[in-house]
Amino acid sequence: MTFIDLLMLGFSEAITPANLAFCLLGALLGTLIGVLPGIGPTATIAVLLPITFFLPPLAGIIMLAGIYYGAQYGGSTTAILVNLPGEASAVVTTLDGYQMARQGRAGAALAVAALGSFFAGTVATFAIAVAGPMLSGFALSFGPAEYVSLMVFGLLAATILASGPVLKAIGMILIGLLLGMVGTDQATGAERLTFGAIELFDGIDFIVIAIGIFGFSEIIANLERSGSEGVKLAPLSRLWPTRDDFRNSWGAVLRGTAIGTLLGLLPGGGATLASFSAYSLEKKVSKHPEKFGTGVVEGVASPEAANNAAAQSSFIPLLTLGIPSNNMMAMMLSAFMIHGITPGPTVLTTQPEIFWGLVASMWIGNLLLVVINLPMIGLWVKLLTVPYRLLYPAILLFCCIGVYSMNNRIFDVILAAGFGLLGYAFRKARCEPGPLLLGFVLGPLLESNLRRTLLIEQGDPSIFIERPISLTMLVATVILLGLMILPSFRRTRQEAFQEEEA
Amino acid sequence: MARPTATGTGDRPDLLSAGLFIGLGGLGLFMARGLDTGTLAQMGPGFLPRVVCVLLIAVGLAVGIPALRRPVQAIDAIRLRPLLVITVAIVGFAYAATHLGFVLASLWLIVAGSLADPGGNWRHILLLAAGLTLFGALVFVYGLGVQVPLWPF
Repeated sequence: MTFIDLLMLGFSEAITPANLAFCLLGALLGTLIGVLPGIGPTATIAVLLPITFFLPPLAGIIMLAGIYYGAQYGGSTTAILVNLPGEASAVVTTLDGYQMARQGRAGAALAVAALGSFFAGTVATFAIAVAGPMLSGFALSFGPAEYVSLMVFGLLAATILASGPVLKAIGMILIGLLLGMVGTDQATGAERLTFGAIELFDGIDFIVIAIGIFGFSEIIANLERSGSEGVKLAPLSRLWPTRDDFRNSWGAVLRGTAIGTLLGLLPGGGATLASFSAYSLEKKVSKHPEKFGTGVVEGVASPEAANNAAAQSSFIPLLTLGIPSNNMMAMMLSAFMIHGITPGPTVLTTQPEIFWGLVASMWIGNLLLVVINLPMIGLWVKLLTVPYRLLYPAILLFCCIGVYSMNNRIFDVILAAGFGLLGYAFRKARCEPGPLLLGFVLGPLLESNLRRTLLIEQGDPSIFIERPISLTMLVATVILLGLMILPSFRRTRQEAFQEEEA
Repeated sequence: MARPTATGTGDRPDLLSAGLFIGLGGLGLFMARGLDTGTLAQMGPGFLPRVVCVLLIAVGLAVGIPALRRPVQAIDAIRLRPLLVITVAIVGFAYAATHLGFVLASLWLIVAGSLADPGGNWRHILLLAAGLTLFGALVFVYGLGVQVPLWPF
């Protein structure tokens, strides 16, 4: 089939009434949680994962994807109007967006953000459609040795590109790997690390860990802070940007899109990193860098385009190689797994309707977001006045039902509560829990591929440096690790993340 | 950001991370003690768990030892109320859902969970509990067919 035929197949899947409805539902839910601070897309998807079990595979995945990119739109709305980033990826948008709002140009900022995001989403979706088949053809030539090296590279790169101390992130990955080993050993059938509990013989469910660490401990941490009662809103003005705004922002949107699409591909990349990089790039190329932070339209257009592009393009490694690049993609991977689909090069040939349907739905979802969001901004912003104390009992209930409904076991809920406590301890220790999920998801894959490689080679590890692709990955890993030891690189990396932590 | 207090040394959040890493690594090694390591060509079930645990302990030491000498950094204040109330509410829900049915479990979860926030108003909490329970019963139990009894009898 040609490219056009495949794209048509995708659209014909995506515009069935049910899939369209779930796309809309996901986009709306995503916007909602993007607007509400204190609920992130990771926690929301963790809560909804068990529910997708009851849906057809494509519909469930379309909905979850919609939540992810919808949250990027919603997060920027609150960043601009009330100086409150709904999501981490919208933090830089507050710098210029809120200033624009205070000058009475909130409408223009919102419109530029939405249109820029739509453009970026379109380009990134197209990138998935083009790069997907190419990369997956390439990935078909991968043997187990290549997969081992790719995963080692991916895991380490993810810790370096993500914020926070690298050593701690590596520790979190190792804990994730260890948790992934709980249960019956695939190769020998021996029970490992189960404390003798029968309930653990099948291993720990991804949802239990995700809801415990992201759902429960997030609620506890938010309640500790409290005081998120209501917020004051900047007045909303005319929505359409001026001709000047357009002229100033289109270049920024293009650069933001390019940077976002590329950074989304990298392990550990994703929306947050992309928006920060796009903002600093824009500041560098601008003729008037000193004006940034006082409400320049480029400062909104570029990071908004970048975070949306990255949110989309981070699907590429997952869909083509089967390797999730960040914790959101780890969630998506387990959403595929719930339906017995293993994402990777074979999905494109055996179930093309899944891949192309998802790609088409992303574009439709982006369109829906622009159409729904611009007129409904007033309504979303009103939601901000809902106090957290009315929200968290609902989240708590959905989390509990979600965990319980997997196996109808008391055990899972209590285990999730335990992971909530562990997640709380990680928060106090200032350890990012994201890498743990990556390690947990990739652990079993890594182990089985490592065993297979060494079994074929009769215990000779030299294959890892004899195969060229594998060698490239390992060299890249070593270079990254070497860079981390260099003090000058460490300092630059720290500076790059400084704004984020402020 | 934590404010450094006047005296002493030790980056407490980092020391806590080191403790968690070393503790979990040690626990893993202890539990994997009976597992066969095997050889590189024929890895036993204990091979990778041991490797990972040893690495985890090494990372723990690498995080912890420099943290001992750094100027003091406090752990953000721990408030026990949300921590305990939420945990107890969840555990209670788990038992209640199996033995007493969804309706009572959900009411318990929301009423007990609401106690985590001191600013609650009883009328709001009860209304919220009733509304969410009805919603949950309709959507999850009837709509999505989650296997859970509604009532204790």
